[in-house]
Amino acid sequence: MPLLKIEGLCKSFGGLKAVNDVSFDVAEGEIVGLIGPNGSGKTTLLNLLTGFLKPDAGLITFQGQNITGYARSNICPTGIARTFQLVKPFLGFTALQNVMVGRVFGRESTQDLKRAAEESKASLERVGLVDKANMLAKDLTLMQRKRLELARALAAKPQLLLLDELMAGLNVSEADEVCNLILNIRDSKITILIIEHIVKAITTLSDRVVVLNMGTKIAEGAPMEIIHNPQVIDVYLGRARA
Amino acid sequence: MNKIQITIIVILLAALLAFPQFITSESVLNLAVYVLLYVSIASSWNVLGGFAGQTNLGHAAFFGVGALVTRMLWFAGWNIFASMVIGALVAVVLALIIGVPAFRLRGVYFAIGTLALSQILLITVGNTFSTISSIPTEDLKVYSLVPRYYMFLGVALLTIVTAYVLLNSRFGLGITAVREEEDAAESLGVSALKYKMLAFGISAFFGGLTGGAFAFYHVGYYPQLTFGPEWTFDSMMMAYIGGVGTIVGPVIGAVFFVVLREFLALRFAEFHLIIFGVLFILVVLFLPDGFMGIWEKIRKRLLRRSK
Repeated sequence: MPLLKIEGLCKSFGGLKAVNDVSFDVAEGEIVGLIGPNGSGKTTLLNLLTGFLKPDAGLITFQGQNITGYARSNICPTGIARTFQLVKPFLGFTALQNVMVGRVFGRESTQDLKRAAEESKASLERVGLVDKANMLAKDLTLMQRKRLELARALAAKPQLLLLDELMAGLNVSEADEVCNLILNIRDSKITILIIEHIVKAITTLSDRVVVLNMGTKIAEGAPMEIIHNPQVIDVYLGRARA
Repeated sequence: MNKIQITIIVILLAALLAFPQFITSESVLNLAVYVLLYVSIASSWNVLGGFAGQTNLGHAAFFGVGALVTRMLWFAGWNIFASMVIGALVAVVLALIIGVPAFRLRGVYFAIGTLALSQILLITVGNTFSTISSIPTEDLKVYSLVPRYYMFLGVALLTIVTAYVLLNSRFGLGITAVREEEDAAESLGVSALKYKMLAFGISAFFGGLTGGAFAFYHVGYYPQLTFGPEWTFDSMMMAYIGGVGTIVGPVIGAVFFVVLREFLALRFAEFHLIIFGVLFILVVLFLPDGFMGIWEKIRKRLLRRSK
């Protein structure tokens, strides 16, 4: 049984079919890359998975449980955590408090704030931010905020982590650091669905790649297969005219 | 809390308890009652307005409902404490009914929506209960300010302690997270609507309880008085002046506000309203974290220097 199963998912905004009959699976322990040109429906798909949008049709099954149309605050407790394309830290909180929200309200929700604080420190340690624990999120750099967002999602103890363009806005060496972090997270048995524009990052990280174009899935397969797929090259670079 | 803080609190508490034993001047005692009243109402406004960041411009409705229900039950022969609790609970029910549609609105629209609802209530109450409500003559014969003082002290302490416990709990973490970034909070499992409704209910409860104490205190007034928008705006101003979203902020704000108002009203009569208006604008523009913000800055600078 796949960890996540998406079947015939549809979402329209007025006349625009943002996600059109998309189906694919994510198996436990995999890193699946989701790519496609701007406006191809990647973020919409992620918003459908996390309850930020309600699908018009289709079925989302997570660990055998039908989670289609769940309220967005009910998604994380089932074991799915996400990051945002434009980071959304709790600006007036310290880094530690940011992470604590994930720990306290996530999958293993708790009343014990003291223990939650200690475990949240461990999450900060994991992303290399523990020395900034008492700094306010508004005083962190973009790179630190991205790490913070990752630590916060990890503290929620997800089985599936959805990463929305985590590397956007980072320079090459920072992006490499984030790549290593993601591989490190996978090694702790967390399944990852990653949306990314940087093709190199996707090909190094992903076990499998799903390609969207204009809301429709046009290809799925191993990274090397995908980057040589003529249809994928077409949508990214335009049709070659001989 | 550290040892110094606990010592300060104990001394303050002892002073507040002993206060009416040493002070017999009625005007001073009345002033103290108003300080405590505003501490309670500003702290209760702060639970929704500060912790949850939902600017409620209809808080007077809960103060008014608390006062109205308490007054009715008390005059009908009920025990004053029972009357106040029922009054506060009616305020909670009202908040939960208002909350469902109101929380569909965000930011400015929530503020305007709650203001409109409380103004509707103000007019309705004015038309329905148009005669003056006075404490019956036989009760007036034994009327004393001291039990009123202790009533307000009790309500104020209960409000502050509850707010403190809430802010430092799981609930506090969740509701402030919703204030800081609602989408992120929801994505981590915090139900924004549930937490806002809880904050609204608690805020209304203590607003209503303060109203109940007012009903116990005030000899004669038109029921409409307790629904006036000034209760809302004064509470909000006090919270902002002292430090919105903190525990101590509304307390300091209330003391500052009431004492300054007394001072200004004696000298400038109605003109003091303009002074407060200007003061409020200055605070919002230059001290968004109020007096507590200044204190934090000083404390941080001292800490840095001592390193």
